[in-house]
Amino acid sequence: MACTIRVPSHRKTILAQKGEVLAEVLRRAGIPLVLFCNQRGLCGKCSVEVIKGKLPAPAEKEKFLWKQKILSRNQRLSCLFEIKSDLEIGVPFRSTVQEVPILPALKRTSVSIYPAVKKYVLGIPRPRISSPESLFELLLDGLGEKHLKVSPSLLGELASMLEKAKYKVVVIIHRDKEIIDLRPATEDSPIFGLAIDAGTTTLVMELVELDSGKTVDSQAAFNAQASRGADVISRITYALSGQEKAGELRTLVLNTLNRMISQVLERNNILPSSVYEIVVSGNTVMNHLLLGVPVHSLAVAPYQAVFSRLPYFSAQETGFAVHPEARVYVSPNVKSFVGGDIASGLLASRLDRLKGNFLFIDLGTNGEIALKTGKSLIATSTAAGPAFEGMNISCGMPALAGAVYKVEDVSGKLKLRALAGKPARGVCGTGLIDLIAIFLKRGEISPRGAILNREKRLHIAKGISLTQDDIRQVQLACAAIKTGIRLMLKRNGLREAELDGVYIAGAFGNYLNIENSMRIGLLPSIEERRVIFVGNSSLAGARQLLVSLKERERVESLIKKVSYRTLASDPLFQDHFVKALELKSWP
Amino acid sequence: MKEEMLEKMARAIVDGQRAEAESLAREAVMNRLDLLEVIERGFVPGIQKVGELWEKGDYFLPELISSAESMKAAMAVIQPELRRAKIDAPSKGKAVIGTVEGDIHDIGKNLVASMLQAHGFEVHDLGADIKLGKFIDKAQETRADFICLSALLTTTMLGQKRLIEMLKASGLREQFMVLVGGAPVTQSWADDIEADGYAENALAAVSLAVRLMERKRAKK
Repeated sequence: MACTIRVPSHRKTILAQKGEVLAEVLRRAGIPLVLFCNQRGLCGKCSVEVIKGKLPAPAEKEKFLWKQKILSRNQRLSCLFEIKSDLEIGVPFRSTVQEVPILPALKRTSVSIYPAVKKYVLGIPRPRISSPESLFELLLDGLGEKHLKVSPSLLGELASMLEKAKYKVVVIIHRDKEIIDLRPATEDSPIFGLAIDAGTTTLVMELVELDSGKTVDSQAAFNAQASRGADVISRITYALSGQEKAGELRTLVLNTLNRMISQVLERNNILPSSVYEIVVSGNTVMNHLLLGVPVHSLAVAPYQAVFSRLPYFSAQETGFAVHPEARVYVSPNVKSFVGGDIASGLLASRLDRLKGNFLFIDLGTNGEIALKTGKSLIATSTAAGPAFEGMNISCGMPALAGAVYKVEDVSGKLKLRALAGKPARGVCGTGLIDLIAIFLKRGEISPRGAILNREKRLHIAKGISLTQDDIRQVQLACAAIKTGIRLMLKRNGLREAELDGVYIAGAFGNYLNIENSMRIGLLPSIEERRVIFVGNSSLAGARQLLVSLKERERVESLIKKVSYRTLASDPLFQDHFVKALELKSWP
Repeated sequence: MKEEMLEKMARAIVDGQRAEAESLAREAVMNRLDLLEVIERGFVPGIQKVGELWEKGDYFLPELISSAESMKAAMAVIQPELRRAKIDAPSKGKAVIGTVEGDIHDIGKNLVASMLQAHGFEVHDLGADIKLGKFIDKAQETRADFICLSALLTTTMLGQKRLIEMLKASGLREQFMVLVGGAPVTQSWADDIEADGYAENALAAVSLAVRLMERKRAKK
C-alpha cells in the first residue's frame, strides 16, 4: 500500500510503500540526511519532526535521547522509522549534510620543481622525398630522444595531425618516457595538475600549473560517502554489505571529485583536457575504494591492505574527468590503516630529516601517530572515533559555519567564537576541547569526567549544552590518542621530556588550543613552542608529489623505512587506556 | 561490630580499594564469620552500589574496573574457604567469553568478564581473535550456560552470526545461551541473528545474564 509523505521543510511530497524505512525514502527523494552511523540508530543525527500522522512507539535509543533533551516527544530517528501511514514531517537543518566546509590554513613548504609532465612545442621538418624518414622518428629527433612509448591510437592520428598543424605541434611527455598527447601548436595552452586529499570526511583539491608549480586555486567538498558511514570501518562494512555497494562508494566519491574538478576548472577557464596529472593522497581505505579495489582484507585481523605502492594509471582507467591520458599517482599506503595520507604528511613535514625525537599526530576519526627517533620511524593508528569531528556529541557538528571552535573563560563567563562569524549552532572538536578544559579547571567536572551538578548537564549557550555522555565520548577519544602516544614512547624507551617536537596534522589546524589540549592530557606536557601545527599535511604532501618526481622517489623510500606497530594487541594497552581516561595533564 | 565490617566491605568495593577488600575478606575468614552472609550483605551491596553510580553517570570505566578488580580479589579469598567447608555458594552461572576471530580489541570484553565474575559467575575468558569453533569446544567442555561474543568492528560482527549458525548446524543451539555485545552491536542486530541477548554495557550484561539464568532455572 502506498503512503504519502509530505515534507514542507524541503517542499517535497513523496510516495512510499508501507513498511519502508523513512530515512531511505527521504534519501531517495534527494534530502541529504546525515546518516553517519549507517542507519543503525546509533548517532541520533537523522531526527525528523512528525507534524501530522501517527507517531510510532519510541525505541530505546529515542527514549534515551528524550531524557537527554536531544529529541523532543514528537521527534523520531528517521533511520528507525518504519512507515505505516500518511505523514507530514519536518526535516530540521541539523539533520541534513551542509555544503562547503571551511578550510584550515594550509602551511606551504617549498620544493624544487621537477615535474613529471613536460610540454614541448616543436617544429618538425616537412618530409622530403630525398630522405623519407618516418614521422615518428622525426618527432623523436625533434625531441632529442631515442625511445619514447606511444599508444597505437596516438600513432594513428600522427600523420593527419602533423599535416593539419603544419608540422608545428605540442608534445606532452610523461616522466621522459611516454608521449601522452599531441596537439597542434595553435592549440597550445598552459598545462595543469591536481593534488587531491581524499579524506574520510572532507575532500580537498588544489589546481596547480605544472610548469611553474604554482597553486592556481583550490576546492573543497564533503565526501558524499559520509552518508554511508562516518568512519573507515563503517565504509568497509557498507562496501561488504552487498555486491554493488563497493561500486556505489566508488561512484559517490568519484562523482564528488569530478564535480569539484569541473567547478575549479570552470572558475579558472581551463579545459579538462589541459589537466595531465593527478596525485591522490588518501588513507588506505579511501585509496582502495576510489580505485575499486576490494577491501575485505582490511576488514579483519591482520587488517592487510591489497596494495601499497602503485604504478601509474590513466585518468580514463580511474574515472577522473580530465584528459583521458592524464596520469594518476597515488601516494603509497604505509601499512594496514596507516595510509597514503600519512605518507604524504610525513613527507611534507620532513620528519625523517629532522635530528632528534619527534611525534607526528594526525587527529582525525582514525588517529594516526608516527614517532621519529634516531634513524627509525614507527607508525600506528588508533580508533579515536568521530568525537573530534563533532559526531557522537549531542551538540556536536563538523567545522562549518556556526560551529563554536574556540571558547575562553572570561571572568567566569564563557566567551564563544563560532566559525564564519555566524551565531553558534553547535560545537566542533576544538571548541569541545576548550570547553572540557574550562569546566575541568572550574571544577564543574571531576578529573574522572563526572559532571558535578545535579542536572548532569553543562549549559553553553542557548540550545547548546554538554551531557554526561558527551564528556564520556571526549574522554574515550582523548584516551585513545593519549594511550597511542604513551605506548609509542614507552616501547621506544622515551619519555615525553625527551621529545624535541610534536607535529599536529589534520583539520584541527591552528584552532587547537595547546594549553587546553595539555590540560586534558590529549597532548603531552612539553614546551608550547615545541608543538607545531602543519595543517592539512596530506594535501601539502600531495602538492609536493605533484610538482616533483624526486618527492615521489622520496616518499616511496620513506614508507619502506616506517615500521608498523599494533596498539590493540599490546598487553599494556588496556591498563594504559583505562588510566588515560582520566582528564589530567601528563605524566 | 559485624554490621560495621559489612559496611566497610561494601565501601571498599565502591571505592575500588583492592587491598582493603582483600584484607577485609581475610579478616572475615579468620574470625570465622558466616561467609555467605559476608558475600551477600557485605560485598554484593557494594557492587550493586557501583552499578547505581554507573547508571547515574557518576562512575565511568576506570571506577568500574577497579571495583570489579576489588570484588574479584575478595572473592578469590572467600571462595576456596567455602569449597573447603563444603558450603555450596549458589553458582550464578557459567560463561565462556571472548572476542570473535578477526578482532583484536578486548577492553569491553574484559570488563564484561570481570563484572560477571564479580557477580559470582564462573567465567572462562578465551581472549581476543578467537576461532569460532573454540568457543563451542570450550562451552561443551565446561558445560557452560552462556557463550558471550564480543565484536568491536562492524566487519567482525558477522562472526557472532556465524557462531549461531554453527550451533544450529551441529544441533547444539538449545544447549547454550548466546549473548552478544560490542560497540557496533545493537539489539536489532541481536534479534536479527537470533541471539539470546544483547547488553549495552558490562552492568547491563550482568543483569541480563542473571535474568536469563532465572528463566532457565524456572524452566527446569
